[in-house]
Amino acid sequence: MSLDKTLKKLSVRSPWLFRINAGSCNGCDVELATTACIPRYDVERFGCRYCGSPRHADVVLITGPLTTRVRDRVLRVWHEIPEPKVTVAVGICPISGGVFREGYSIEGPIARYLPVDVNVPGCPPRPQAILEGVVLARSIWLKKLGLEE
Amino acid sequence: MAGFLKVLFRNVLEGPSTDPFPLGETFTPDRLRGRARINPELCMGCGICRHACTAGAINITPLSDGSGYTIAIWQNSCCLCASCRHYCPTGAMSISNDWHGAHPEKEKFSRLEQHTIKYEPCAACGVLMRPVPAALARRLYSATPELDPEQIRHLCPQCRRQEDAKRNAGTIQVTTTETLAARELTSAAPTTY
Amino acid sequence: MTDTLFAILHMAIFPGGIFALTLGFFYKSLDRRVEARLQRRVGPPLIQPWLDAAKLLTKETMIPRTACRSVFLLAPVFGFTGMAVCAAFIPVPGVYAGLSNMGDLLVIFYLLPMPAIALMLGGSASSSPFGALGFSREMLLMLAYETPLLMILLSVAMLVGKSLGAESSGAEFSLLKIIAWQQENGSLGFNPAMIPALLAYLLFLPGTMGVAPFDVAEAETELLEGPLLEYGGPLLALFSVTSAFKTFVVTGLGVALFFPGTISSWWPINLVCFVLKCLGLMLFSLTLVKSATGRFRIDQAFRFYVTVPTALALCSLILVWVM
Repeated sequence: MSLDKTLKKLSVRSPWLFRINAGSCNGCDVELATTACIPRYDVERFGCRYCGSPRHADVVLITGPLTTRVRDRVLRVWHEIPEPKVTVAVGICPISGGVFREGYSIEGPIARYLPVDVNVPGCPPRPQAILEGVVLARSIWLKKLGLEE
Repeated sequence: MAGFLKVLFRNVLEGPSTDPFPLGETFTPDRLRGRARINPELCMGCGICRHACTAGAINITPLSDGSGYTIAIWQNSCCLCASCRHYCPTGAMSISNDWHGAHPEKEKFSRLEQHTIKYEPCAACGVLMRPVPAALARRLYSATPELDPEQIRHLCPQCRRQEDAKRNAGTIQVTTTETLAARELTSAAPTTY
Repeated sequence: MTDTLFAILHMAIFPGGIFALTLGFFYKSLDRRVEARLQRRVGPPLIQPWLDAAKLLTKETMIPRTACRSVFLLAPVFGFTGMAVCAAFIPVPGVYAGLSNMGDLLVIFYLLPMPAIALMLGGSASSSPFGALGFSREMLLMLAYETPLLMILLSVAMLVGKSLGAESSGAEFSLLKIIAWQQENGSLGFNPAMIPALLAYLLFLPGTMGVAPFDVAEAETELLEGPLLEYGGPLLALFSVTSAFKTFVVTGLGVALFFPGTISSWWPINLVCFVLKCLGLMLFSLTLVKSATGRFRIDQAFRFYVTVPTALALCSLILVWVM
């Protein structure tokens, strides 16, 4: 196996997470925080780390239904994230609009603007479901690198 | 800071309390609200669930040939409020504790709880209708033991009304016109101009 | 010629280069793991820093359009070079004597702020307002923690210099001689006059490593990692390698200054002993403090460094002067 392939194979074991709040009610953000802060759901076991800068991110967790006001900011921050990246929609709002669907200020679902890779439905999803989503994102990342798991 | 050190020391002694979840099993409470389920045996297609659904996740479409209807819950829009379960008159809606939801994007629109329910012909007149669920019919007619719930549940509302009229025809008490006239009016007399 | 070759070998393999990198990454992963244990979590695997570095090498590098390109690209290299050279000056008691036998303490003192300067350069070159804020905070913090460090080094040098008397002129800035003196007369960490200096050094460590409660410059929640905001990919990997080197350098310097005692004449035992001493120093003054405290504001951090560690180091300096 070549060095490049080895590096790529190892790289999925260090997915750094980045949160984007696209007008969320904060319910899903709290659940995201629990995955890192509550010892029961320790997301650091998979080498994850919530990073502050979009430049360091590999897995983007988007919450919220994409309101008109944050749309351009969300798209701008999303494009700042270096490739290869995996986009995870957390909660029903970014997936389908949820309870806010067809509201006057809602631009979502987010798949209209961004290529979403993984959906984690729930209102909010259980922390375990988010962990499941992160693990699924890892396998999709591997596929994006051209390596099947 | 000294208090913190005590806590840290205790934490080291007690060891990690991490759930082994993606690598092992996790604990799921029985009453956890996960995927919504429909029992096609019980659903009457009344549409109250669609009306009550906060997130607009429930859709009921009649089949094009009028032979039934399709009821669907889109899990990706369900906000787990359980209003459908609360308002369903027949108890067809239930919320299971299955919370495994993460799925890749291409499965987004296939995550449905969907049932196509066919109408049945009425036993008497043959018009297409949805029979009353057996359990519900037993409960409804428990006060009138002379009726066979299994038989009456296959009748359409029209035929059921006729059956009822035939059955009750002899028992209705008819008051004579004399007694009616003898009675005094208790309400105010209609105004005449 | 042979001296130069040996110096390069020392920088590339032992104690700089590969050895320092392995040890630094090992300390970093152990730091995360121990912190996780202190919080009743499991924590990442021990090879996690290697995986992170491998991941960063496969990511694309993005350079902001408005950034000063050359400085932005050279800043991490600058910090890395400084630390790679500095690591070769760290003596491993009983194994390796250091690159020079005179004045190397001063060289280390000048090389030690290199990663912080690289961070400041990179942050200001990135043209990001967060980078500029991080730059100003990093500089303020550096001014605050360099003063006690100078006093600590001076008190150690003066104590040894006074004891050696005629051989040196007042102060002894050779780590080799400082270690030799301590191996004869007992470690400075147990010397009553030097205990304040040791405490000051322990307080200096979290500041120079930029970990809580002194991670004001790279605060990820308020400054989005400050100067590192615009860095990604291999450049960020270089910063993490520099940080690993720096962990080795500051803990190794602490061991050399305060606990250089050896228990055997056989070098592998001395090496293990050195590694364990560095580890103890790191776990005590970085991990434990990090998991028990929150983050200071920049003014609080500055005030803390110009009062407590400076006073402690000054105390040692005066004690050495008087005795």
